[in-house]
Amino acid sequence: MKRSEAKEKLLLYRELIDDDDLRFEDALAHARRDPELAEWLREQSSCYDAIRSKLSEIEAPADLVEKVIRNRPIPSAATAGRLNALQRWDWTQILKLAAAIIISAAITAVSLKLWQRQTHRVIQGREIIVKGEVLDMACYIAYNWSGLEHAACASDCIRNGLPVGIKAKNGRIYLLTGYDAHVNAELADYAAKIVTIRGKVTARDGFAQIQVEEIRKF
Amino acid sequence: MPGDPEFEKLVRLYYRDLYRFGFSLTGSEIDTSDLTQETFYIWANKRHQLRNPTNVKSWLFTTLYREFLKICRYRQHVAHEPLSESAQDLPHISADMVNRIDAQTLLDFLGQIDERYRAPLVLYYLEDLSYKQIGDLLAVPLGTVQSRIARAKIRLFQLLTKTNPSLSRAK
Repeated sequence: MKRSEAKEKLLLYRELIDDDDLRFEDALAHARRDPELAEWLREQSSCYDAIRSKLSEIEAPADLVEKVIRNRPIPSAATAGRLNALQRWDWTQILKLAAAIIISAAITAVSLKLWQRQTHRVIQGREIIVKGEVLDMACYIAYNWSGLEHAACASDCIRNGLPVGIKAKNGRIYLLTGYDAHVNAELADYAAKIVTIRGKVTARDGFAQIQVEEIRKF
Repeated sequence: MPGDPEFEKLVRLYYRDLYRFGFSLTGSEIDTSDLTQETFYIWANKRHQLRNPTNVKSWLFTTLYREFLKICRYRQHVAHEPLSESAQDLPHISADMVNRIDAQTLLDFLGQIDERYRAPLVLYYLEDLSYKQIGDLLAVPLGTVQSRIARAKIRLFQLLTKTNPSLSRAK
């Protein structure tokens, strides 16, 4: 290798930072044998350090950090909702949301009943088998989140006691309940997965729930 | 408005590095403050999309650079001459000579270099990044990054020589 070729290569060499970069190996070996090249390399390194140090003198304005923090944007409703759901520790927000959904559903159902002033047909206790995706109802109703992308969040929501449902192939949604509290824990493992549920269906005023008796992974 | 400890922590951790990088690109305190703020705000709105949180610093640098390029396009900066120097054109510059100029002069010189060449050169000097990391950060192939840094460095040295030819000597 000629000295000029070595210089071409070593033009970019930075001591310590590029020591493991094999592209400089030959040229560095050459510099160890060639005192003139070694001297040139030393000067290059000093110059690099001087420029680096000069640029490092740049100081941010003293008030910048406070300005950035003070003026930070308030996330949009959609973003805020997504962030809340993703920040697993913020369960109070999610529980509030779930409570709001349940209360809204209850008010709607009562209103409908009063308005129609007639007895609705109640389906109760009929055995049903439904195949579909296990849903975290809070996120599904509020944000239409479902599917594998949302699986981790859904699993956490269900495990922490939020309403769980199943979306059948025909698009119908059933709320899933159990005889005991373990149904959420069992269904959390199937969040966003396709399962077959066997249980007793109850429907009133357009809302349907299945009391789960058996869960089968599809 | 409730605080956001994660946001505040990130700002305090990286604002200096980000500002330094931005200021080396723009040479303007106002522009750099705006760029720095905008970069953190973009992070605040998109943080959930970050696949690998350990790469947050690179992500911030990339975002700031993209925002900087938007400003450049918006303002339609006068196109700089493409750089075509080779290592043979590298003037001799001593560390002593660099030490005699102030940071502002150095920034003025950087400002005379086309932004496509300036950004990798600034990262080359300021951050302990490998050439591959610089390439990833600027979305430029490795070979292109190296050639851009080499050309920009030669150009910078030429500009330094012009300031005070008496301080430089022939190779």
